[in-house]
Amino acid sequence: MPSGANDQFTRREFVRGAAAFTASAIAGGESIVAAKKNATPQAVTPSSGQPVPKRPLGKTGAQVSALAVGGYHLGSTKDQQEANELVAKALDAGITFFDNAWDYHQGLSEERLGTALQGKRDQAFVMTKVCTHGRGKDVAMQMLEQSLRRLQTDHLDLWQIHEVIYYNDPDLIFRPGGAAEALLEAKKQGKVRFIGFTGHKDPAIHLRMLAHDFPFDTVQMPLNAFDATFRSFETQVVPEATKRGIAVLGMKSLGGSGEMVRHGALTAQEGLQYAMSLPVATTISGMDSIEVLEQNLEVARGFQPMTAADMQALRDRVRIYAADGRYELFKTTKKYDGDVGREQHHYPTPQKLPA
Amino acid sequence: MRPFGKHAEVRISILGMGGHHLGDAQDEQTAVALVREAIDGGITFFDNCWEYHRGKSEVLLGKGLKGHRANVFLMTKVCTHGRDGSLAMQMLEESLHRLQTDHLDLWQAHGVVFENDPELFMRPGGAAEAMLKAKEQGKVRFLGFTGHKDPAIHLSMLHTGFPFDAVQMPLNAFDATFHSFQTQVLPELNRRGIAALGMKPMSGHGEPIQNGAITAEEALRYAMSLPVTTTITGMERPDILRQNLRIAQKFEPMVASEMRSLEDRVKDVAADGHFELYKVSLKFDNPEARMAHGFPLDLESAEVKEMVAAVQNTGHPYPEIPK
Repeated sequence: MPSGANDQFTRREFVRGAAAFTASAIAGGESIVAAKKNATPQAVTPSSGQPVPKRPLGKTGAQVSALAVGGYHLGSTKDQQEANELVAKALDAGITFFDNAWDYHQGLSEERLGTALQGKRDQAFVMTKVCTHGRGKDVAMQMLEQSLRRLQTDHLDLWQIHEVIYYNDPDLIFRPGGAAEALLEAKKQGKVRFIGFTGHKDPAIHLRMLAHDFPFDTVQMPLNAFDATFRSFETQVVPEATKRGIAVLGMKSLGGSGEMVRHGALTAQEGLQYAMSLPVATTISGMDSIEVLEQNLEVARGFQPMTAADMQALRDRVRIYAADGRYELFKTTKKYDGDVGREQHHYPTPQKLPA
Repeated sequence: MRPFGKHAEVRISILGMGGHHLGDAQDEQTAVALVREAIDGGITFFDNCWEYHRGKSEVLLGKGLKGHRANVFLMTKVCTHGRDGSLAMQMLEESLHRLQTDHLDLWQAHGVVFENDPELFMRPGGAAEAMLKAKEQGKVRFLGFTGHKDPAIHLSMLHTGFPFDAVQMPLNAFDATFHSFQTQVLPELNRRGIAALGMKPMSGHGEPIQNGAITAEEALRYAMSLPVTTTITGMERPDILRQNLRIAQKFEPMVASEMRSLEDRVKDVAADGHFELYKVSLKFDNPEARMAHGFPLDLESAEVKEMVAAVQNTGHPYPEIPK
């Protein structure tokens, strides 16, 4: 998640506040609450002893945990000690996949993860992202060295191009001397095992990246019960990636801000269960406290996917809330687009756009 | 003049006068004069909509067309936004009354912008039934729909199989790069002989022109050079009307290479959609349409405050915003 995008709503808040939805803020909210009352809550089987299951990472031969710790929120923990504790607990529960990005909290997220993984690096699958935003290979290679240093490691398990969200990004990335060349170079040098890209905006842009027939090992995208009916990555990108054996990494299982949960359209559990039931290698979820980790582990330990019928029922139930994109603002507004990326593309900041 | 899709016997002007901006004219006299000058300049296609300025746009056009109705191709839009066909028929009567005519040349479903609109349109008792009935009754000659949001929604309207004669959509040099109607919807219309009506040649409010990314002449010529029946643009002042008439009267289509080079020139600024916010931002959703769909208006959010304030056609959304 780009810095600043979700500072106002932390996961911690909606763990506490999921039920405390106030109808006054949102006209029409009562119907959402009514829909929630009519919904059958998903039964969660007691699973405290079981680990988070592993899944194959596409055709790479590697295995990763079905739930992953998001790196942006790791930088929002209150101090290094809490980050250490969170990472240790996650590893104990069987989580191996740790997400990060070069620009999260100006490097703090990578530093926190690097410190928390001291002595435990070999138990983890470490991913970070490179933030060239259209700039070339040289910038990417410099960022890689910085990321490795902050993460206190000599290699990444996965290195992805961050925030591919503009229609000209595929051209910029694949131009001669562009970031795609850095991915190949880093892999050749043994500094990264696998390569991929990520973006939260538009399935069409993802498909254009995939059309380059580049040897991507992974592709990351927003996947949640709302996405299924609105500018859908699930219906447009997942089948293409799956067909080619490219591992799908899901993110934004609760819509990025968790607003869909706070407004009562679905529960945090339902949201995570749905995302993890898709044909994905892992679902990356932001967890900025032990409390949120524990809540996610309740769903992820010994995870059993929802049935196709249950998934369809949930899609149908939330469809009316999904149809205008208000719970997926990363697709419809500029407010999840990082300022650095916009600056590198010479776009005005959202504040300067016409109302 | 160009043929109206497969109805080649009907010919309309390559430039259409937008109805929303007509309601922005300084006063009634100016609006009436604008309509007359447009007719004199060769414009035959007049756009309007039941909800523009709460009916004022239709009333003004009705006055402007007095004595000239037979010489123009008159379109207005119905604003059911997913509601019942019976409401559509009431709106039709109101529109005819305001426009001082007994029939429309084209009646279109307005604001098809949400993923579930095609389903709501086609449902039993929905607006689709009303449209067919109006055509049968001879109150409208042709049927169509319009929307500014997403090519995928247009395609799913087309996949309903409803016999549309016309489809309206944003078409401009920026659209070629971003969420493109030109590449996704226009070929399908041409293939089916459905009249393609372009709108927003200047991207809605001319931001890229003020910004210097493109000139008004380039923008309008580009839009008119696409395989469309007409290009609808808002002209609320005589100088804008005259500028556009000049461009249209001496119009020679751009050659393909000229169009490509303009697309390439604006490609990078087009790639995030900031000149086409109507395609992405919720801010451009008409609050009336949101409420008709049962979508909430978050009155506390800055976006909705701006959205409500931006809806020049009402100032106070209809029906009343729930408190």
